[in-house]
Amino acid sequence: MTSASEEADSSLTAQQKSLAAVTYRQQLHSYQGSGSCRHEVIRKRLLIDGDGAGDDRRINLLLKSFTKWCNSPGTPEEGFTQYQRMLGILAQCEFSMGKTLMVYDMNLREMENYEKIYSNIEQNIASAHEKIAECKKEIQRAKRIRKNRQEYDALAKVIQQHPDRHETLKQLEALDKELQQLSHIKENVDAKLELRKKQFHVLLSTIQELQQTLENDEKSDNDDNSQESPAENGE
Amino acid sequence: MGPVELLHMSVFSQSFSPCGRFLAAGNNYGEIAVFSLSAALSPDSTALNQKPVLTFTAHEGPVFSLLSTDCHLLSAGNGEISAWSWSELTKKNVKPLWTRRPNYKSSLEIPEINSMTINPRDNSLVAGGGDNNIHVMDLENGVFKTVLQGHSDYVHCVTVREREAEILSGGEDGAVRVWDSRTGQCVHCIEVYKYEVCARPQYGKWISCVTTDSDWMLCGGGPSLSLWHLRSLSPTSIFNLSGCQRQAAFQQDLILTVGEGAFVSHCLLGGEVKAQIPCTPQSLNTLQLNNNSTEHRVLTVGGSSDHIDVFTNLSYRAFSLRF
Repeated sequence: MTSASEEADSSLTAQQKSLAAVTYRQQLHSYQGSGSCRHEVIRKRLLIDGDGAGDDRRINLLLKSFTKWCNSPGTPEEGFTQYQRMLGILAQCEFSMGKTLMVYDMNLREMENYEKIYSNIEQNIASAHEKIAECKKEIQRAKRIRKNRQEYDALAKVIQQHPDRHETLKQLEALDKELQQLSHIKENVDAKLELRKKQFHVLLSTIQELQQTLENDEKSDNDDNSQESPAENGE
Repeated sequence: MGPVELLHMSVFSQSFSPCGRFLAAGNNYGEIAVFSLSAALSPDSTALNQKPVLTFTAHEGPVFSLLSTDCHLLSAGNGEISAWSWSELTKKNVKPLWTRRPNYKSSLEIPEINSMTINPRDNSLVAGGGDNNIHVMDLENGVFKTVLQGHSDYVHCVTVREREAEILSGGEDGAVRVWDSRTGQCVHCIEVYKYEVCARPQYGKWISCVTTDSDWMLCGGGPSLSLWHLRSLSPTSIFNLSGCQRQAAFQQDLILTVGEGAFVSHCLLGGEVKAQIPCTPQSLNTLQLNNNSTEHRVLTVGGSSDHIDVFTNLSYRAFSLRF
């Protein structure tokens, strides 16, 4: 196609020159206005299609060929081929625009996807933070439990050193019983001792009375004898 | 401060500010240095942040004890107690608020004060020192209201058992005495060296550290560090550490202790030594945990060196602050 060869032949500087010319013409057509708008537009156009090898050039080519076609006095076949060529260029432009639109859609959807992933990750971070706090609380609790357990063990060690309570109680009971028995025996012995003492006392006092009586009798016998003999001597 | 002085420096006491952002440390030259923890712990701290923000001479003799209340820093040296305002210290103003001296019997020699603690029940300061007595001072009006007598040699350390309103003290005479803080009478006297399980006659009978957890008490020094159950007054666990321990603390389910030996020992309540974390000073005198601030929860230890080691995680030494 002639347009392709035209594109291939032209050098970079030529493209830039054509672009600059086009831009200037655009300015004259569209903006009668201030200098700043001109700079903005220049900047934007350079950003979009700085090298002039893309759609911008194609559209300008189309415009040029359209005006040439309208004004050309050539044969109907030439005109028809020119017309076909223009349709082709138009189709190319539409195709590239469709492509750009789809890319734009895709970008939007990608953005949404990323937003979703972003919020998902944020949620995960928040839940991880919560879990960390939970675990920290658990650790504190576990440490307290461990400390209590260790204190319990330490006390148990000490307590184990002392003898068992049941044994001690049993020993105490046995000792009590022994004590009771012994005191019982002591009571019995005491009672017997008392009894014997009393009996001996009775015996001794009886003996003494008998002695006394015997003495008295002897004395009275003697007295009687001494009284009787003078009486017998006197008769 | 020349290099020779730095070589011979010992840090005897430390205290964190009530906001938890500053550390005050006292050394054997009578100086107190204030370090900024927030600067030293920030991610972009330099070697300069590990030097003190303020150093001043507080006492003529060594500063054996430092204590922080809600807004004051109390320091004790050669027989006198000085108070400094934390807000003034952060503004680098080194004028003491007051300096008081307990009533000592003899005026010839001034005994040093080895240890101080606060009894929160009646807002009083308990100080034990070289004259074998424990002086209790009311913080509001500065009057020394009680003297607890009973030790036959100087007092190394005092601590308060809050729940039962008792004061515990350990001394050079090997006895741990339990005093009732209201009446001032000695309720119990535990002679640790008489118990065969913990006695170490090769080191002596002195008790240099006493700390309590209301039901349990840790004491050590000449005898091995031992855990006692206070209600039954019986030793439950003995810790098999080689040197003499100078300070011990309960931390959650662990016991942290420092003493002779260039390490901090982590022990379990059952008696086993779980870990010994190496430190810079050759032998350590003081150990403090910063419970005043949630973001600067560090452990700092100081001893016979001009370095104070800071542990952000209990398992390893993070960096050192230097005098």
